[in-house]
Amino acid sequence: MTSMAHDLSFLIPEILVLLTGAGTLVCEMLRRPRTALAVAVAGLLLATALTLPLLGVDTSVFSGTFRIDTLSIWAKLILLPATVLSLLLARAELHGGDREGTVYSLLCFTTFGALVLAGSGDTMFLVLGVLLSGLGAFALVAYPRNDAATEAAMKFFVFASVTGGVMIFGLTYWFGATGSTLLGDLGGLDKAPLAAAVGLIAVIVGLGYKASLVPFHFWAPDAYEGAPLSVAAYLSVVPKIGAIFALVQVVRDLPVSGGWPFLLAVVSVLTMTFGYLAALVQDNVVRLLAYSSIAQAGYFLLGVVAVGVSPLALPALIVFAAAYAAMNLGAFSVTLRTGRTLDAFAGLGRGNPVVGVAMVLFLLSLTGIPPLAGFVGKFLLFGAAIDAHFTWLTVVAILNSVLSLAVYLRIVVPMYRRRSEAAAPMPTHLPWNRAVWVVALIATLAIGLGAQALIGRLA
Amino acid sequence: MLPIVSITLFLPLVGAACIMVLRKAPASVVHGIGIATGALTLAGAVWMWSRGVLPAGFSQVEQIGWMPAIGAAYRVGVDGISLPLVLLTALLFLLTFIFSAKVKERPHAYVVLMLLLETASIGTFTALDALLFYVFFEISLVSMYFMIAGWGHEDRQRAALMFFLYTLLGSLPLLLAILGLYLGSDPHTFDMRVWIASPPLTGTAAMLALVAMLFTFAVKIPLFPLHTWLPAAHVEAPAAGSVILAGVMLKFGAYGLIRFALQMTPEAFRHAAVIILVFGVVSALYGAFAALAQTDLKRLIAYTSVNHMGYVVVGVAIAALATDPAVRALALDGSVLQMISHGLVTGALFFLVGMLQDRAHTREMARFGGLLKVMPILGWSFILAAFASLGLPGLAHFPAEFQIFLATLRVEPAAIVVILGIVVTAGLYLRAIGQVFLGEPREQWKGLTDLNARELLTLVPLLVLIVGVGVAPAWVLDVIHTTTATLHF
Repeated sequence: MTSMAHDLSFLIPEILVLLTGAGTLVCEMLRRPRTALAVAVAGLLLATALTLPLLGVDTSVFSGTFRIDTLSIWAKLILLPATVLSLLLARAELHGGDREGTVYSLLCFTTFGALVLAGSGDTMFLVLGVLLSGLGAFALVAYPRNDAATEAAMKFFVFASVTGGVMIFGLTYWFGATGSTLLGDLGGLDKAPLAAAVGLIAVIVGLGYKASLVPFHFWAPDAYEGAPLSVAAYLSVVPKIGAIFALVQVVRDLPVSGGWPFLLAVVSVLTMTFGYLAALVQDNVVRLLAYSSIAQAGYFLLGVVAVGVSPLALPALIVFAAAYAAMNLGAFSVTLRTGRTLDAFAGLGRGNPVVGVAMVLFLLSLTGIPPLAGFVGKFLLFGAAIDAHFTWLTVVAILNSVLSLAVYLRIVVPMYRRRSEAAAPMPTHLPWNRAVWVVALIATLAIGLGAQALIGRLA
Repeated sequence: MLPIVSITLFLPLVGAACIMVLRKAPASVVHGIGIATGALTLAGAVWMWSRGVLPAGFSQVEQIGWMPAIGAAYRVGVDGISLPLVLLTALLFLLTFIFSAKVKERPHAYVVLMLLLETASIGTFTALDALLFYVFFEISLVSMYFMIAGWGHEDRQRAALMFFLYTLLGSLPLLLAILGLYLGSDPHTFDMRVWIASPPLTGTAAMLALVAMLFTFAVKIPLFPLHTWLPAAHVEAPAAGSVILAGVMLKFGAYGLIRFALQMTPEAFRHAAVIILVFGVVSALYGAFAALAQTDLKRLIAYTSVNHMGYVVVGVAIAALATDPAVRALALDGSVLQMISHGLVTGALFFLVGMLQDRAHTREMARFGGLLKVMPILGWSFILAAFASLGLPGLAHFPAEFQIFLATLRVEPAAIVVILGIVVTAGLYLRAIGQVFLGEPREQWKGLTDLNARELLTLVPLLVLIVGVGVAPAWVLDVIHTTTATLHF
């Protein structure tokens, strides 16, 4: 009993997220969307605050099936504030709409799923996390109840079902070979190379879909385009980071002899290159950002391949995750106030210099220009990959960074053109949206200049 | 002691912050802030100059922790190579602010960008931490991109994009090299002084790092065949942008070549020195001949930059090949002085072309003629700067090129073919002067007015220094020599 209480005490943030989701749902049932928002924001912020005392803990609960380690703690510190920003974005976009509060509660539940993923110590938790973060996400995408959203949600759902099935099928091989579902027992796989390979591919399929790695990314651009913009912003950040962290939890215990680093390096190259090449030909800003977020997932893998080899890998992944959350949410937030097409961005920088500068900084940070957050993250990722003898992968990543500049400048260039008369007027007042990009901007600058605060705690 | 390096470095940012706060201020106030900040920054640089440098290592070092966990810190300081470049940077920026006081189009953003660029430039020369160096290096690219894209001429979007992509592609290999040096150092650090004192890489790793760095700096210098971005960027950039681009930013490449490539991978550099020398010679000759083929005055000057920077590369390669420390110092003295001279001379020439274009709205040499009679001050200033550019004794380029050629003769006499470049540049400048300034003025140019007070204020300091450095180079050379005499690699 005491051990149970001890375990639960480490799970207070997760439990609080779950309670927050439930509380938000109750508010929605009482038709109080504003209260629902307040409950969700307050609950998640409180959960963030309660995570802080856990920093430095490295343990696991429930017989090793759920890990309370650096990765899962920082996942909470990054994903919970990112969810709060997504909540505010959702309020800005959907307020006054039907069933507004359900969006807030679904966001909380989906984040819970992402946190389960990030702390997985057991293959069953992987499956659970994928399902938890998936179910809420389908409903969120389908929220607008129009054809585009329904089709997007349908695609998303079918893709998730198939990849999820493949993952569970492959995980049975691991269970068969090691006799355990614990990730900590995966070391036993070096005697069963075939089972190890089947399971590995299955995990890459299952988590790769969630993190939108190529070639399991097809759902992402359609889903982002059909979904409300705030939901697209959320999906591009929270479940993705959860899945990447889950991948780290898996490979941490995999024997290197299985060749997983090379396999992931290949996936990384495909993801980065395809993502940016596809982004280069988009005229729709949401699709462009969707492909950009696919490509960014490839950069995460630079850190994943170095896990266990380079001491830089974990700090790199965590710093880049924080940076990515800030700059991507910021870019989506500015898109929400401006419009979904490149034409809508024409003249933004001239008409509204402050928003223009903010957007330029988000995009340059996504490219990885110093001293912004994205640079520090990518720099550490490059360092980790070189340290793990993946210099060629770093060279590919660097070439892709040049490609990414061409992608992001496609948004920047029209911003400083003169605004044509025919263009639609800028949307007016969106409550809370300004707060989102201002916070994201501060985070983008602060992580860039003060990365030490993060790295220092990790090293 | 007052941290004067950091104060000089961040003064422009303070000025930029003032302008951002005063968003409603009229253009004259904004330009006033720009000029005042530029003047204060120059005062700071002069103060640094008056403190001087120590014979070995870096002087006036200031440092505070930044990311101690990964061995990165805010470290700045100067030596005899960087200090003259800092002074040149501060001077050219002040003159640019004075020259740009006419800009009426979005003056706030213009001056803020220029101030950001000034901090980035001074930072690049004073950084003693590789990560910090890279940060400043990249910020300068971003600000120059917006400078060209926002205030350039007709085809500015394309030129700006090409500039940004080209130089980003160029700078990322440097990041790779920095990471390699970082992981090679034990304990891991980004401290450039440590890397210089005991080069962290050897053998193949050092050679790979050197190749990456050479690529970066060759784009920046620019060295044939990676120079193609330069004419396009110059033609479309506003005059002030061209001055900074040629006068300051090209020096990042040459400075990096010495500071990073030569000092941090000396062994590999020595092995590759002959190849680097060949590239330098080809680049210098190519620049001269390409300039000969130009009809646009600004493109002509842009290509002579390729020529002059080629001499710098020749000097650095000769220094690596030299076994006699005295010859080595001679070659490096010449190279560093050549950077300073090029900044002064090309700065003056780009200002003059900008002034000419403001009046005539064209830069085609064939369309001019006899301008000396219409605008004697502009004409004679141009002739003086052009003579300096072609290496006339008594003007700024002569002592620099003389030292480079002297060291070349001592070490690798065959490479002296590079001197042909001087003959070609002499020919092309005489032709340009003849076409534009001599003869009878055409009817359409008779109404042009000569330089006004603001333009004179911009130009005179440069012309005085061109003569000053040419006649008595010792005051700069002494500072440079303090460091180059003690370099060991």
